[in-house]
Amino acid sequence: MAADLDPAERLRRYAELAVRVGANVEEGQIVFIAAIVEHAPLVRALTRASYAAGARYVDVTYRDQHVRKAMIELGPDEALEHTPDWLKTRFHHLKGNAYIATTGDPEPELLSDLDGERVGRAQMKELTEIVREQMTARAINWTGIAYPTEGWATKVFGEPDVERLWEAIAVCTRLDEPDPVAAWREHMTRLESRAADLNRRRFDALRYRGPGTDFTVGLLERARWMSALFRTASGREYLPNMPTEEIFTTPDARRADGVITSSRPLALLGDIVEGLKLTVQGGRIVDVEAKHGAELVRGQLASDDGARSFGELALVDGTSRVGRTGITFYDTLFDENATCHVAYGFGIPETFEGEPCEGMNVSNVHTDFMVGGPELEVDGLTAAGDAVPILREDTWQLPE
Amino acid sequence: MTTNRLDRYAELIVRVGANVQPGQTLFVTALVEHAPLARALSRAGYAAGARLVDVRYVDNHLRHSFIESAAEEVLTETSSWVMARAEALEGNALIMIAGDPDPELLADLDQERVGKARPVDAMKRQLRAQNELKLNWSIAAFPTEGQAQQVFGSPDIEPLWDAIAHTVRLDEDDPVAAWKQHAARLRERCVQLDMLELDALHFSGPGTDLTVGLLPGARFSGGGLTTVDGITHVPNLPTEEVFACPDWRRTEGTVRSTRPLQLGGTIVRDLEMRFEGGDAVEVTASAGADAVKGQMAIDEFGSRLGEVALVDGTSRVGQIGITFFDTLFDENAACHIAYGAGITFGIDGLEGLGPEDLRDRGINVSAVHTDFMIGGPDVAVDGITRDGTRIPILREDTWQLT
Repeated sequence: MAADLDPAERLRRYAELAVRVGANVEEGQIVFIAAIVEHAPLVRALTRASYAAGARYVDVTYRDQHVRKAMIELGPDEALEHTPDWLKTRFHHLKGNAYIATTGDPEPELLSDLDGERVGRAQMKELTEIVREQMTARAINWTGIAYPTEGWATKVFGEPDVERLWEAIAVCTRLDEPDPVAAWREHMTRLESRAADLNRRRFDALRYRGPGTDFTVGLLERARWMSALFRTASGREYLPNMPTEEIFTTPDARRADGVITSSRPLALLGDIVEGLKLTVQGGRIVDVEAKHGAELVRGQLASDDGARSFGELALVDGTSRVGRTGITFYDTLFDENATCHVAYGFGIPETFEGEPCEGMNVSNVHTDFMVGGPELEVDGLTAAGDAVPILREDTWQLPE
Repeated sequence: MTTNRLDRYAELIVRVGANVQPGQTLFVTALVEHAPLARALSRAGYAAGARLVDVRYVDNHLRHSFIESAAEEVLTETSSWVMARAEALEGNALIMIAGDPDPELLADLDQERVGKARPVDAMKRQLRAQNELKLNWSIAAFPTEGQAQQVFGSPDIEPLWDAIAHTVRLDEDDPVAAWKQHAARLRERCVQLDMLELDALHFSGPGTDLTVGLLPGARFSGGGLTTVDGITHVPNLPTEEVFACPDWRRTEGTVRSTRPLQLGGTIVRDLEMRFEGGDAVEVTASAGADAVKGQMAIDEFGSRLGEVALVDGTSRVGQIGITFFDTLFDENAACHIAYGAGITFGIDGLEGLGPEDLRDRGINVSAVHTDFMIGGPDVAVDGITRDGTRIPILREDTWQLT
């Protein structure tokens, strides 16, 4: 059990899982790591594990939320969206290499006293563009992995109990299994077979019904359901997210109508969005309401034309290890695996075979928010108009 | 540590050290352990009008893994993006934070690989921009537990903070004004020395009888530099020295160091050298002589001088009586010389010259530059003019020129 592991050994196993199963680093690759400066202990373990896996070089950029805060608060307008040339050069080199990003905000509310509009604008769009191109070309084997910090633990538990957060993460990422690598293999096989089943059924649309939600969204003939077991163009398997419990697809950006309400808080741009309620007409979000943080979402939606349409639908049932911890992690990497979610913004190229104008959304934004829970009913709608239950009371309804 | 002190320090580094100008990008290089100062610098940088503050964190633990595991040919590589960042320095501001939190970290590694592991091309690119005065830059220290342990034998950083604050004049009511005055005094000393048109400096004291030949028309620097764009900046905080580039061919006599020298994890004590025709032909020490000899052997010119610097008894670093085990401080405690690369700040007309051209002009070129202290109350310093006249410069640690 993970709880019996000493912290150094646990960190070593965790880093090894991220390097060997997550990014699946290949001998001779450069491993790029992007991390918050507070994540240094994990980054050091990832670096050791990467060299052990045969990395040619491990190239780390640490970012600092406090430096970012100073920029948003005190910097000139032009600083907000500026991408330094050297950083662009670096990101062009991701091609053919491995990339690991860490999450786990040490101070989730650090930016909450700032002008939300400036916070929303402060993004290196050119960098996002470069990464997007390379992901579209499936040129990188990459993964995201979380690091527990005091600030994050406080947000989750009301006290800086990092150890408790570590234990929850160890459960979610199957570090508590005797053989985590084998456990991951088994888990991914199950998700793969669910995706294959949905692909065989060829639903025309999904319908979501629950508290504050009555939403129908079209599916694309040329988009398939898949698990987060990805392959690069050269055939290398990798898991972009650890944990992952979802199967997902890219919806038809042109066909969505109704009202959809978030079922869990959403950590966004250093703040928390609560009670998000989106009204959708003809595939576009036409109204945004929230108990808190609506302006952050509005700022994002205004950032480009595609931001207002949907790019992802994901289904998660009650067997999710993340869901079963009962914890809201205030971190999308985890929370999106607790329950069903949707995302506005960029579609998922891996799921789609065709030109983007054939229904896949294009945007520099991709924000997931949770809509699932025991009260949510999800149905598949056939072209003939029949409704087939997929989820009821968090239980998968299709035969497995 | 009070936030106020940290913010005052950052403001001093930004306004006086790098002298960041509105519209410049401020590059900051820091260890991850220096984050509190890097954050304060980013606030102070934007307050000074920086268009962007670009902080690059370095992690010595990653460096440890790198040196331990990377292939031989990767150790000295410069990636294109590291080069791109070095190229972006020109016309902008750079602050480097010093202060090693873990001085022993790399001690278990193959020291030859430790010495080799650096992005050579990017470092050369940065040094060239610095030497050609194309960026305004400064190095300042952040106190860490590791350094406190080394200096005071206890990880309590408070005494180290107090020492740093005193040496950088943070304990003055108006540190910025105090620095203006201090820098003006050092610049005045340079003017005094330059007017003498000295041919050599002579040091005499216990174990020391050393003549250091200067370059023709040698100019002394101190109290800051001015970029080609006219931005005055103070490259080291603290600074107490006025320095010049000696002629690498014309050092003669013996010298005894007056303070211990920290050299890559080794402490060198009672270092003595004898020079003939510019070359250190004899090197002895009661401890650590091998580290010095090893360094000098890196290339053919490592055993020849590249800097001579004068510091008097008003130095705050000298007065405080602490060995910081960090050249940034220790070289400001007393007069010092450096073996290795010639220090070319302030020498005109060197642009585009290769190593051979520089050596022809008497400027040393080497991969090494190590300062060690040779001054103190017992060491007299004279200037020698071309006609052989001797002019007292320092007696009993007191500046003699007016």
